[in-house]
Amino acid sequence: MKWMQFLTPVKSKDFNETKQMISDHDPDEITILDVRQPGEYKDSHIPGAVLIPLAELSDRAAELDPDKPTLVY
Amino acid sequence: MLAGKGFKQVYNVSGGIKAWKSKTAVGPQTLGMDLFKGPETAKEFLVIAYSLEQGLQEFYLEMADKAGNEAVKDLFHKLAAIEAKHKDQVFERYQNMVDPEISREGFESMVTVSALEGGLTTKQYLDQFDPDLSVETEVVSMAMSIEAQALDLYQRVAGKVTDPKAKDVLQQIAKEEQQHLARLGTLMDTL
Repeated sequence: MKWMQFLTPVKSKDFNETKQMISDHDPDEITILDVRQPGEYKDSHIPGAVLIPLAELSDRAAELDPDKPTLVY
Repeated sequence: MLAGKGFKQVYNVSGGIKAWKSKTAVGPQTLGMDLFKGPETAKEFLVIAYSLEQGLQEFYLEMADKAGNEAVKDLFHKLAAIEAKHKDQVFERYQNMVDPEISREGFESMVTVSALEGGLTTKQYLDQFDPDLSVETEVVSMAMSIEAQALDLYQRVAGKVTDPKAKDVLQQIAKEEQQHLARLGTLMDTL
């Protein structure tokens, strides 16, 4: 059991902080992760966001780079 | 969940997409990807990128002809001129990376325009954004939406390709799209 996943608090960023963080990084230096359902992603998503629905995240996390800052919504 | 898998910097976007007040992209993950189907090299991706910039330039010129008022007409011409510069950037990159000797005509002979930046057709864009073509801010807003869509498309394609050089080219173009978006934001602030 990896208890860290239950214990590590996740920081939040509001719209301005998120936008600033995206503009401060080159697109390949940051991951924007959309964990909603494909239909929601299709309707509207932050440009450059990668879609991995929450239910699939555990199995597909290896597709992402753990060393990059990751914004999740 | 991600923290337990070695992700060190994870941030929750407060309020999610509803709190996101900037431009969004639309469509499934596969949108526009067929434009990049087949090609796998940096060289081929640059030709496609050029065709998308050209498609958008032609679109703006077409809109300029349709625009009723002079201010909007001028604005479309300005946007078309910006796309012409983007084309220059892509061509220069092609010369630097692939063939320093190639002429513009030689390069353009490889280009086929089938969609605009972002992978949608003119009609799809107009249906999607439904801009009021008599209002300058609406026109720039549409242009920003198209750039956001393009940024999204290049990043999705970059995420799929395996050739490191091709991936690098796509990421560089995505970075430029991000700059184009910021430039349009500045233009919007002047209106």
